[in-house]
Amino acid sequence: MSDDDLDPAIHVPARLRIMVTLASLPDGDDLSFTRLQDLIGLTPGNLITHLRKLEDTGYITTHKNGGGVTGRTSVALTLGGRAALDRYTATLRELLDSASPPVTGTRT
Amino acid sequence: MNEEAGTTSAPGPSEAVGMDAQGAAVIMQQARERAGSELRIRRPVLFVTWGLALLIGYGAMWLSVRGQHPFHGAAWPTLLLALLLLAIAAIITAQVVDRAASGVGGRSEMQRGIFVLALAAGYGALLIEKSALASAGLSRPVEAVLGFTAPMLVAGLVFVATSAITTGLNWPRLILGIWLLAVAAGGSWAGPETVLAVCALAGGGGILLMAAIEPRLPRA
Repeated sequence: MSDDDLDPAIHVPARLRIMVTLASLPDGDDLSFTRLQDLIGLTPGNLITHLRKLEDTGYITTHKNGGGVTGRTSVALTLGGRAALDRYTATLRELLDSASPPVTGTRT
Repeated sequence: MNEEAGTTSAPGPSEAVGMDAQGAAVIMQQARERAGSELRIRRPVLFVTWGLALLIGYGAMWLSVRGQHPFHGAAWPTLLLALLLLAIAAIITAQVVDRAASGVGGRSEMQRGIFVLALAAGYGALLIEKSALASAGLSRPVEAVLGFTAPMLVAGLVFVATSAITTGLNWPRLILGIWLLAVAAGGSWAGPETVLAVCALAGGGGILLMAAIEPRLPRA
């Protein structure tokens, strides 16, 4: 097993942060674009780019309420996105476990 | 996506940065901790706030009615103090909840709305009921017992009923709700003076105790 086995749509620092942040919310909740930007610390342009990629894979959904200046864009993790993050976490754990030095357990 | 500012189809700078498994684990841990500290309502702060408000508010009223014969009710400065403490606790609660819930929509937002609506409806109905009973000739001691314990009864009922509307059972809310119901019902037997001591010590003290045990309870 290698890093190539990790989902490339998630295995990017910014997208990993986005996925983990959204996964910290209960099912059925969403987060506004501005609050997500505040938590992740990306410029609006960069955040949009990463959100589009995650949306294209079906891991998140975005929704715009209202229009104009008062409009609010919200972002939510889909069920598929949560499952993908679970798979990513499991694969990552396996990678880290296989990379750690074996315990010999010999005692004299 | 309808955000226009800075839109670009090029990968962001962070995309070009390589990330090994160890680095990914660190990022996940950091993101999880940040989201947990920013998006989670700090319940212990709320428990301490309301516990102190009840302990001091009810306690001050109890000190003002001790030894009254005949019973004529709490002194107005202590009633004002209690109202002031309730207002301060409500403001702190609003700030703590807003800090965590700002920008969070969906099911949690609706659940918070139901919780606030239930409390507002309960206290509104209670005020009307109390006025009706007073105009029907309710005695001062009985009115005092009702006035001191019924708000706790309403809060307890709302806490118990709304403990199950979250994704998982909200154990702190359920336990606190049952405790407040017990304090309200049991305290009513203590009479118009001692009920205030029961509400202060068992009600306020119980909420303060919840601040200590809440981190050890299962999370919703």
